[in-house]
Amino acid sequence: MPLLEVEKLKTVVSGYTILNNLDFSVDENELRVLLGPNGAGKTTLIAMITGQFKPTAGKITFNGKNITNLPPDDIFLAGISRKFQVPNMYETLSVYDNVMVSLAGPRKVFKYLFKPITPQENERIWEILEFVELADRANDPVDTLSHGERQWLEMAMLVASRPKLLLLDEPTTGMTQEGKHRTADLILRIAKNHTVLLVEHDMHLVRQIAKRVTVMHQGQVLAEGPLTEVVENELVREVYLGKSGQH
Amino acid sequence: MAKQAAQHVTIRKAQRAPLLPMWAMLLGAAVVLLIGTFPYISGTNSYVLLLLGKFLCFAIFALSIDLIWGFAGILSLGQAVYFGIGAYIVALSLKINYAIEHPTRYGSKFPDFMEWNGLTALPTFMEPLIITPLAVAAALIIPTVLAFIFGVITFKRHIYGVYCAVITLAEALILQEFIIEYQAYTGGFNGITDYGNYVGAPFLWVILAITVAFFLIARFVTHSRIGTVLKSIRDNDVRAEFMGYNVANYRIFVFCLSAFMAAAAGAMYAAWVGIVSFLDAGPLQSVEGVIWTAVGGRATLIGPFIGAFLVRGLEFLLSGSWFANYWQFFMGILFIAVVLWIPDGLVGTIGNWLRRRPKASYAQIREEQDQIARDRQRDWEPAGAPKPGDELV
Repeated sequence: MPLLEVEKLKTVVSGYTILNNLDFSVDENELRVLLGPNGAGKTTLIAMITGQFKPTAGKITFNGKNITNLPPDDIFLAGISRKFQVPNMYETLSVYDNVMVSLAGPRKVFKYLFKPITPQENERIWEILEFVELADRANDPVDTLSHGERQWLEMAMLVASRPKLLLLDEPTTGMTQEGKHRTADLILRIAKNHTVLLVEHDMHLVRQIAKRVTVMHQGQVLAEGPLTEVVENELVREVYLGKSGQH
Repeated sequence: MAKQAAQHVTIRKAQRAPLLPMWAMLLGAAVVLLIGTFPYISGTNSYVLLLLGKFLCFAIFALSIDLIWGFAGILSLGQAVYFGIGAYIVALSLKINYAIEHPTRYGSKFPDFMEWNGLTALPTFMEPLIITPLAVAAALIIPTVLAFIFGVITFKRHIYGVYCAVITLAEALILQEFIIEYQAYTGGFNGITDYGNYVGAPFLWVILAITVAFFLIARFVTHSRIGTVLKSIRDNDVRAEFMGYNVANYRIFVFCLSAFMAAAAGAMYAAWVGIVSFLDAGPLQSVEGVIWTAVGGRATLIGPFIGAFLVRGLEFLLSGSWFANYWQFFMGILFIAVVLWIPDGLVGTIGNWLRRRPKASYAQIREEQDQIARDRQRDWEPAGAPKPGDELV
C-alpha cells in the first residue's frame, strides 16, 4: 500500500480547474520528484496535501488515514512536513530555537509550559544542525543567514520533526550552482531514511538526484516512471522540455 | 564515534539567558525596596505616593499588552476592556459596602448614583459583590472568561493582525458606550467614586508584590518553551501551523493570561485611586497602554514598566504648564516617532546596542568550526519517521 495516495483530486478556484481528477501516489522510502511547467498545479497539490486549501472533490489518504479535510496542524501530526517555496521560518529566533520549536513531540499548550529541553533533545538539535552544516551559526538570529543557509535550515526543521513524508517545494529557488549541489547532496542524505516528495524546476538538479519522477501538466499526471524513460517521452518533451517548439 | 562526540561537547552550547541574571535580581530588589519604603519617606498624604501606586497598576496593564503584542504578535486596542471590567467590579463592591455603612441623604443603604437614577434597591445580581473575596474573584475571573470567549471567536476563525486590532478597538468602544448608557448600574459619565481608597503602605505593598509576581510569571512564560513557541507564532504563524502547532490555542492561552493581568491591574487601580470612570475602560486607555509599551520596548518585559512610568511621569510633570492642553497631540507624535525611529523602544534599542558583537568574530568562529562541522556531518544520519513504540525526542 502506498504511503500517500491521492485519488481523483479536483480543485476549482473561481472557475479555473487547477487539479483535474488527479491520481497520484508515493511509496514508503521513495524519493519522488514532481516536475511540470508553471501552472501545472504542483504547488497546489502540495497545498492540498498539507491542508492549506480544501479540495473541491477527491480523497487524500496518508498512512491508511483519510486526511482530506483536516487542518494543517493535524496533517503535520499525521506525519507530513512541508517546506515552502520561499524559506519560511521564525525570523527573530535563533537557528537553534528554530530547530527546537520544530522537534517532534507534544504540541499541546500546557504540556509545554513546564517542559524544559531535555539533554536528548539538545543532543538531537545539535546533530541536526551539524547534519545541515549550520552548527556554527546556532546562536545567530535567522535573519542574519544567507538565502541558501535559510533553505537548509528549513530542511533541518523538517528533519527535526521526524516526518513520515517530507514535501520539499523547490528548495533550490534562488541558489547559486554551488548551493544547488550542496542542497542536492543534502536531499540525497535525507532521503536515505525518509520518504521525500520533491518539487523541482531545475533539470540539472533533477538529473543529479532523481530516480523516479512524475510529470504534471494542466492538473493531471502526464507521465510517471524512471527519469531516463520520462525524458524520452514525446508528450513530456512537448509540454515541458519544449523541444518540439509548437503550442 | 562516541569519543569524537565528546570532543565537541564544548561547542554544543546554546546561548540562553538565565531566568533572572544576578544583576537583574539585585537591581530589582533595590527598586522594590525603594518603592516599598516610599510611603515612610513621603507620608501617606503625598500626591506622589498616589501616583506611584497608580503607575504600578498602569505598568502591569502595559505588561499585559506587551505579553500579547510583543511576544505573541496580537495587537489589542481594547485591552482596557479587561482593565475596566476588573476596576468597575471592585469599585462597585467597595461602593456598595461603603453605602451600607454610610447611608445616602434619603437614608437608603445602596449606592447614591443608583438612587439618583431611580432604582429603589440594590439590583439582585449585584448582591454577591457585598462579599469582598467574591467581588475580587469576579473581578479577576469575569474578564479572563470574556477574553477566552473573545479568543475562541476570533483566533479559532483565523482572525489575526489588523482585523483583530479593529475588533478589539470596537470592543472597547462598545464597553464604553455600555457604561455610559446603563448609568443606573455603572454611574455613567460620572463614574463611580466616593467610596474611600486604600492609599497607604499596606496596599502599596500588595500592589508591589503582585507586580513582582506578574513580572516573574511573564518572565517564566516567555522564557519557557511555550514562550519560544509564542515567538515563533508571532514571527510566522503559517510555518508554526504547518509544524503542527494549534496556533489558535496558543493565542487564546496568552490572551487569557494577559486579560487576567489587566483585570488584576484594574482591580487594584480602583481600590487604590478611589475613582473609576468610563475612560478607564475605553479605547483611549487601551491605546495609551500600547504607547507605553512601544516607548518602553515591546518584547522586553522591563520595557512596559519604563514606558508607563516615563510617559505618565512626563504627563504629570507637564500637567501644570500650558503644554497640558496639547498632551494628546504629543502622545500621538511620540507614538509615531517611536515607531519610525526606535521600533524596539528604549529598552530594546539599548539592549541591541549593548549586545552588538564585532563582525570579525563571526568570521573567526565560522572558520574554526567550519572544518569541524564538515568533518562530522557525514557521520550522522537523521533518524527517519518514528516507528510505533519509538520515544519521540
